[in-house]
Amino acid sequence: MRDVRGDVVRRQLNADHAVSVTQVRSICGYLINAEASSEDITARVDDLFADPIIEHGATNTMLLTSDAFPETPDAVITVGFKPGVTDNPGKAATDGYLTLFPTDVGATIATYLTYVFYGLPADCDVNWLAGTLHNTLIERALVAGPEECQTRSWPEIQFPTPPEQVFIEPQSIDLECDDATLEAISNDGLLALNLNEMHAIQAHYRDAGVRAQRTSMNISPNAPTDVELECLAQTWSEHCKHKIFASKIHHVDHETGEDTIVDSLFKTHIMQPTHDMQEEVDWLLSVFHDNSGVIAWDDSWSVCMKAETHNSPSALDPYGGAMTGIVGVNRDILGTGLGARPIANTDVFCFGPPDWEGTLPENLFHPSRVLRGVHAGVRVGGNESGIPTVNGAIVFDDRYIGKPLVYCGTVGIMPRHLPDGRPSHIKTPVAGDIVYMVGGRVGYDGIHGATFSSLELTEESPSSAVQIGDPITQKKMIDMVLEARDANLITCITDNGAGGLSSSIGEMAEYTNGCEIDLAKVPLKQAGLSPWEILVSESQERMTIAVRPGDQAAFEALADLHEVEATAVATFTSTGMFHVRYNEATVAYLPIEFLHDGVPQLELESEWNPPVQESFVPPADADHSSLLEAMLQRPNIASKETWVRQYDHEVIAQTAIKPFVGVERDGPGDAGVIAPIHGDPHGLVISCGIAPRYSDLDAGAMAAASIDEAVRNAVCVGLDVDKMAGLDNFCWPDPIESVKTPDGRFKLAQLVRANRELERVCRAYRLPCVSGKDSMKNDYGTGADKISIPPTLLFSLFGDHPDVRQSATSDFKFSGDVIYLVGSSKQELGASELAYMMTESGSTAGIGGQVPQLPHPERNLATYRALASSIRAGWVRTAHDCSEGGLAVALAEMCIGGRIGAFVDIDGTGEANVWGRLWGESLGRFVIAVPPQHEAAFLSAMKGHHTTVLGEVVDDATLTITDGDDVLVSMEVGNMAQVWKGRLDLTGGMV
Amino acid sequence: MKPKVAVLFGFGINCDHETKAVFELVGAEAERIHVNRFVSGDASLEAFDILAVPGGFSFGDHLGSGRLLGNRMRFSMRDALMAFVNAGKPIIGICNGFQVLVKTGLLPGPEQGSSPDFLQRGSLTLNDSGRYEDRWVTLEFDPESPCIWTKGMSRIECPVRHGEGKYVMPTASDIDRLALNHQLTVRYVDPTTSVGEGITDELLPYPLSPNGSMRNIAGICDSTGLVFGLMPHPEAIYARWLHPTHTRHEPGPDNPGLDGWEGEGLQLFRNAVEYVQQRS
Repeated sequence: MRDVRGDVVRRQLNADHAVSVTQVRSICGYLINAEASSEDITARVDDLFADPIIEHGATNTMLLTSDAFPETPDAVITVGFKPGVTDNPGKAATDGYLTLFPTDVGATIATYLTYVFYGLPADCDVNWLAGTLHNTLIERALVAGPEECQTRSWPEIQFPTPPEQVFIEPQSIDLECDDATLEAISNDGLLALNLNEMHAIQAHYRDAGVRAQRTSMNISPNAPTDVELECLAQTWSEHCKHKIFASKIHHVDHETGEDTIVDSLFKTHIMQPTHDMQEEVDWLLSVFHDNSGVIAWDDSWSVCMKAETHNSPSALDPYGGAMTGIVGVNRDILGTGLGARPIANTDVFCFGPPDWEGTLPENLFHPSRVLRGVHAGVRVGGNESGIPTVNGAIVFDDRYIGKPLVYCGTVGIMPRHLPDGRPSHIKTPVAGDIVYMVGGRVGYDGIHGATFSSLELTEESPSSAVQIGDPITQKKMIDMVLEARDANLITCITDNGAGGLSSSIGEMAEYTNGCEIDLAKVPLKQAGLSPWEILVSESQERMTIAVRPGDQAAFEALADLHEVEATAVATFTSTGMFHVRYNEATVAYLPIEFLHDGVPQLELESEWNPPVQESFVPPADADHSSLLEAMLQRPNIASKETWVRQYDHEVIAQTAIKPFVGVERDGPGDAGVIAPIHGDPHGLVISCGIAPRYSDLDAGAMAAASIDEAVRNAVCVGLDVDKMAGLDNFCWPDPIESVKTPDGRFKLAQLVRANRELERVCRAYRLPCVSGKDSMKNDYGTGADKISIPPTLLFSLFGDHPDVRQSATSDFKFSGDVIYLVGSSKQELGASELAYMMTESGSTAGIGGQVPQLPHPERNLATYRALASSIRAGWVRTAHDCSEGGLAVALAEMCIGGRIGAFVDIDGTGEANVWGRLWGESLGRFVIAVPPQHEAAFLSAMKGHHTTVLGEVVDDATLTITDGDDVLVSMEVGNMAQVWKGRLDLTGGMV
Repeated sequence: MKPKVAVLFGFGINCDHETKAVFELVGAEAERIHVNRFVSGDASLEAFDILAVPGGFSFGDHLGSGRLLGNRMRFSMRDALMAFVNAGKPIIGICNGFQVLVKTGLLPGPEQGSSPDFLQRGSLTLNDSGRYEDRWVTLEFDPESPCIWTKGMSRIECPVRHGEGKYVMPTASDIDRLALNHQLTVRYVDPTTSVGEGITDELLPYPLSPNGSMRNIAGICDSTGLVFGLMPHPEAIYARWLHPTHTRHEPGPDNPGLDGWEGEGLQLFRNAVEYVQQRS
């Protein structure tokens, strides 16, 4: 039998580090703390811990010393979790153990993995090797090198017993001090509150009315308790309150002479346009205020979508950080309205180059390791939850070494009305309803996540900010919650994410204007947590759910059936107070209004000067075939198949357009299409757009391009452009001017410009943003070593598809199909992929020049409507978005998808020169193909829109591109497929 | 008569909705039932005509795929399962469900004429690639298999979505015995071969065989042909709009359901439903 687990390690060492090892074997270890006798457990080894057909099992001895390992290895490395870190296999093993030994209820099992190396190169340092196999933040490793192996002295790993937690009684914190002390209190406590905010809190506790009220509740009258201060810090964090988007900005534009005040970017540029559109359509059911935005999909069903980022946790622990990202956004969907079912995921990642050879700043992982870890986390989180990943992207740029971006999105579906007639998108709690915490328990893991993500990454970043998700606990909870919803048991539901119970119950308490929580009732992973820790811990897999008192028994019975823990921890009130007790003692007593609206508005400075970039001036002559070969191997363009294929993209049996299309099922899908009601071809389109490098010239153009790309991708598959909604997810470097951020004004001006373009384009496209999120501290280090990410907007889109049977895909279909360019090519090569490639290789001086513009979006929309209608009419079966790498790359990908050639002439496709027409990234363009019999109908539908014949699909498997009489590109399709697919295949081969 | 189908769910099973849907599309009455309702006696397996164990990640595949759910069934539903099989009622396990049936010992099960003995005889282990993959494969069915689920089916395309799909048995003669009874019901085949001539014992290269399964085995049945399990997902091609190349083909009314858009996987479920209807 082959030891695949070990062999994967061998292959990755080869792929990532060029270290060649003869063989790696693996041992799965279980450390059991239980009452049952050693003999009893030994008798059941093959029932639980070892597979009798394929594995060796042993108890109380090291398998290494048995016949299973006859030869002496060169190194043995054992990796286990640190105490307190989520051990999912251990949890499952405990569960399985209880099936065999039902009375042994106190049993706990921890797991570890031992890797046994044979034929290790002599110069391979075993401690380095161990470093590649574990993350010191969450795991420990025991290492035995060649000498220890010779003497067979292999260290034994011990059960990871967490240290005792010391319960600290709530105490009050004196804020009657000078400003420096106030700031120190915030900094030392990782509260991330600025001086203004500390003053606002100080002022609250000076109010005579407040003091009198507090005296009557027997809580420190003149000063906050630690519970209150932590609660305020969480609720007022940038992560929860989006203070930069809500700030008052003094914006100066040195290009135009503009000098204005913007009072809240969010309200002005995102919320207002959507509310205006809400007046004109009847399908925008719920926008902004819930965990995700909800639109009516048909008379029976509504759909919702949300995207989140999990950047800082993924930088520290790529696997756990990304996994909690995806399962976390799943909970946003579950917590929408009265509960929606997550049915599709999207994953968009931004990483440093996977083959980075430069130096790495301290505490940062190599980009290939980040890629592997993030990918694995999202893969496990999504696959184990049974939610297909239908769309996504992976983007590379050096600056994401400083902070990877991990965007996770989820689409949900819910019946428009519940069996009792309540609209499912409206929460209906009343005072007196009982509040349950459902799912996982509260632990020390995940304390300070919300405030931590509002700080920049440093060497001292706390490991408690890192968690590992537990998809199976969550899956059980989702099953249970949806049954509770359909039994009409839920009056209010929300996710426990950032800020833990303080945020979830605190936000829901706004509905009834008050709540009373007893923290002593909250089930803990480990005894000894202090009240403030219980309140703010962000331990995963928890929902907060309110039920009517009369429904408690039915709700608890359902939880029992699903083996989901559900504990009543609070009651909704109408007292106006956020009242927290620990047993009988009041430990927090804050007015709901102060908690949610007391944070002072930030006032910020913004100043725009266009960035100076050396112009991109391509040479007079070039071998465009060689350029295409090189472009197809750019990580931003190359196939991501080996990575994406590891996501389940079609569980639920609804995915009609998958990430892979074409004869070999390896061509790129432009957008995902699902038909979620079985037997019914009514569909939903899911797409995204992202163009971070355009920010190097203008973040406004970056935003416009991202939105246009998302819409174009969706149009390619046949979207109904009159029913689409968007999500804006901004990831920015810190845009607040400070000693650490001397260029804060510029970065804020980039944000202002991006928001203005977002409003302009979304209004023109009738594209309401229904939900969004921002992450504003994506920097690493300080001073000369500082790395700031390029300002990045991910725009996600979901919209209607009336009939998935009438879709198009990017693969060329049949020879004789006529190829058209829809849209026209302008001289827009600034910040293009070609400009970056030629500048990185030293062929050109810079990437500057004209960045793609969107001057008349309303015209684009009309073109998109005509094209999408032609697709749904069945005239167009082939359509592909033209973006990174321009027309040349789009055509290459379409040939690869169809494994068929094309003969194309780019003469007459726009005003641009040959470089602009071949490689430019002008917006609003598609390459499409039409069978001759549908050409007349198609052309009639496209009357008035830029539509130019490019050529035709040909049997000869070669892509030929000419400009009039000049042959620019001639490349064999098999060769293109090979270079395009090979570049990011980091699997290390099969055997 | 509408056969009643119990579709198991809970603990990380995740293809329960579509498995229920495909049985309903072919005329059955299907219900999603949490495993614990059978374990506690709240629901009775006897009341159903067909049992489906859908795909998913029960217990996260920890300690080996299907192991923990298999144990729950082996130790807590043993008598009910025994009675169900002895009553001649069909059972299907798809993907994780197949892994569960193999680890409970229901597949391939004992020799002809014996009651289930819940002894594990084979296993499903990590793909040779070491990777979980979602990939479309071509399957061919043994026309002489006693399997009631696959009667009349020759070749279909559908996805595999697994990390542990490599079917193994301790010795070649173990597999020979199954082959002799035509219990190697479905295999991965090279799509360029002619229909009916794809099945081979010689290992196909990756990715034609996505996992390195012995003799390219994709699914097996027990000696009665009533209990059947396979790694690929026939329910994932219940409609042709789910096929990855459906935009390349003009639709035509050449098959029975869904306005000409019925997918080739649906027949498998129809076979079992018709089998139950004919017996009653």
